Amino acid sequence: MAVNTMSSSTPTSQSGAMNPTPTSPATAAELVTANAFAVKDLSIWYGEKQAIKNISIDIPVMAITAIIGPSGCGKSTFIRCLNRMHELVPRTRVEGKILFHGEDLYAAGSDPAMVRRRVGMVFQKSNPFPTMSIEENVLVGLRLNGVRNRQVLNERLEKSLRRAALWDEVKNDLKKPGMSISGGQQQRLCIARALAVEPEVLLMDEPCSALDPIATAKIEELIRELRDQYTIVIVTHNMQQASRVSDRTAFFYVGELIEFGDTAQLFNRPRERQTEDYITGRFG
Amino acid sequence: MVYSRHILREFDTALDALRSDALMMASLTDRNLQNAMTCLLDRVPELCAVTVADEKEVDALEKKVDSNGVEILLRFQPVASDLRQVVSTMKLGSNLERVADQAVKIARRSRKLTMEPELDEAIALGPLFIEAISLFRDSIRSFADGDVTLARSLHERDRELDQMNHDIADDLTAKMAEQPDRIPDYLNLLFIARHLERVGDHAKNIGEDAVYTAQAEDIRHPNNLLEVG
Repeated sequence: MAVNTMSSSTPTSQSGAMNPTPTSPATAAELVTANAFAVKDLSIWYGEKQAIKNISIDIPVMAITAIIGPSGCGKSTFIRCLNRMHELVPRTRVEGKILFHGEDLYAAGSDPAMVRRRVGMVFQKSNPFPTMSIEENVLVGLRLNGVRNRQVLNERLEKSLRRAALWDEVKNDLKKPGMSISGGQQQRLCIARALAVEPEVLLMDEPCSALDPIATAKIEELIRELRDQYTIVIVTHNMQQASRVSDRTAFFYVGELIEFGDTAQLFNRPRERQTEDYITGRFG
Repeated sequence: MVYSRHILREFDTALDALRSDALMMASLTDRNLQNAMTCLLDRVPELCAVTVADEKEVDALEKKVDSNGVEILLRFQPVASDLRQVVSTMKLGSNLERVADQAVKIARRSRKLTMEPELDEAIALGPLFIEAISLFRDSIRSFADGDVTLARSLHERDRELDQMNHDIADDLTAKMAEQPDRIPDYLNLLFIARHLERVGDHAKNIGEDAVYTAQAEDIRHPNNLLEVG
């Protein structure tokens, strides 16, 4: 195994970035058509503690992949690697390779800011910028990227809010503070904010864990609708949610990938005993 | 596969109770079949009333199994082997209720036969009874023990039971031509053989559910390659 090592403490650090290893033409073509991410032998450490242990997994494009597992199994760490968000944690070390449409995410010269633009993220707790209006929250990413054209901004604002199924509820209140709407609406606002920069992938880290059942249902419906346009990876503690929304499910346990497969198959006929024991509530 | 207990003990308790009710149904149904057999072969018409009374208890248990099964689905939202266990146990309840129905129909026809002079052909149904009851008991054993090998063997044995039924039907039809005055009695025997054949079908269904529960494999209709939807 050709192991590349990267240590970093800042999101923009390029020091020690992985050396790109050329992939065979056949493999690259296959990745473009079938998989958004190809993760090879990925290991992650926080200081001395290994959070992810030698995981290899292909994440399909234009599909919803759920990651389940007990607390501390490494599922959040894993998805944060997919847009280099984990680099915000000091003393993080990564070994292995993550190919995004065939390109090495950690290659020398790869810009973490650009990675995060292509691979957006929504977090557990809705986090609209408290001093910004609904409109400003949605457009902040674009403005940071230098977009100033009012027509473009207006179009992107409406498009993003519509895609996030929030437009009809806030179209007359765009100047109101982002914090003035309900928790479920705030989470959809965060999704709209992520969509505004037109990413290819949406990572969701327990996006419904702080929401009531109705707000959760709206987010789940939205996730299903977004599936046609985005590759989605969702971390969830809620196994019913994983079985409802996802096409494929990965089960992580103590930093290892135990099983990855079709969601219906995994929840009806898991191949591994550890998966069966976890999803049926025999340990966790 | 032997599973450990759930973290949520209430779930284990509910599953155990569901299973226990279904197995109680199986026990009552087994007794019903035996009573129906005794009613015919030993000419004991009183057992018909016992069979009918026991069937009411089986019906009540079927409703209880369905109701508790739905409650488990609602409260615990089981998945994987747990979900298969609940769904299959509810289906077991339906199959058992139908077997108990067949036992009542057999008992009612047997009572009519006990009021007429004995026919030698009634005794000839003995092997069919024994095989049908054996098939039924093995289906319950396969379900209760998760014995997939036994469950898979029930398909072939059901076919053998079908053949026995065909042979007996041919004999009885021939006898009707010879003794037209006993046609109503021969028809009763013909229907009893048919009811026993249906018991075999339900036993086969229970075996299929046993395989699904243990291995998540659907072995129904192996020759039908049509896929819908």
